[in-house]
Amino acid sequence: MKLEDFAIRVLEATESAALDFMIVGAIAAGTHGVPRATKDVDILVAVAGDSKFQCVIRALEDIVEFEPQVVFDTLTWGRRHVGRIRTSPPFKVEFFEVFDDPFVLEEFRRRRKVFVPMLSRETWLPTPEDVVVQKLRWGRSKDLDDARDILAVQGPETLDMEYVQSWCARQGTSGRLQEALAGIPPL
Amino acid sequence: MANIHDDPAALKALQDDIYREKILRARAMTSEQRLVEAFELSNHQFGMMLAGAMHRLETRDEEEGWREVALWMRRLDQVRDQGLYVTEKPALA
Repeated sequence: MKLEDFAIRVLEATESAALDFMIVGAIAAGTHGVPRATKDVDILVAVAGDSKFQCVIRALEDIVEFEPQVVFDTLTWGRRHVGRIRTSPPFKVEFFEVFDDPFVLEEFRRRRKVFVPMLSRETWLPTPEDVVVQKLRWGRSKDLDDARDILAVQGPETLDMEYVQSWCARQGTSGRLQEALAGIPPL
Repeated sequence: MANIHDDPAALKALQDDIYREKILRARAMTSEQRLVEAFELSNHQFGMMLAGAMHRLETRDEEEGWREVALWMRRLDQVRDQGLYVTEKPALA
């Protein structure tokens, strides 16, 4: 199975449960910045009750085995559901639940609908500004690279940098933002 | 022949050149093209990993190779996710 086929199955399952969602992670970052390989399909999903999410799990159970225990990320305490494909390659799907974190709510509200021919459907993606803010918040080395790449590819002059700076100030990541901008050589 | 690693300024200039080329290439692509490339790179990456695993195991059995790749991926997850995720949310103070 190819990653795009796996992504289509994941999106179909999410759509069939009538859940609001958007694609995040490396796929979203690569769309706005420099494409890179990934092993997983990451989805931010608005879960209003567990039953709808159980529909997603059931729709995918022939190809995905979900971990029985939900985990929490230690930055925002959001819930994450992790599933591993039953076949090969060993792709993963990760569903992150929208919750009452001000930034998560705002980036979800600002998501954009785009038609993606490769996935044969309209789907939802975050704005480049929101990916930058989230990546700087996470702060792993690959996240910081993604943030710098998006700033470089989009160009700070085309982005709403006031919005980015405002969230970075609230989240204490202004230093990371400055480092990312300083890391872009003259183009 | 001079070793560029002995000349920090020259090394930085080379790094900037490589990065500049990468950025300008991405800028010349549409969002859709970048998305397609992310999928292509991912599929290619797994193909390379499978070849590496089969070579290491000295096998022609793809299933055995994929099991090894899956093991590698789980180890990578454990390293990369170290400290980022927990199974219980702390109680409010």
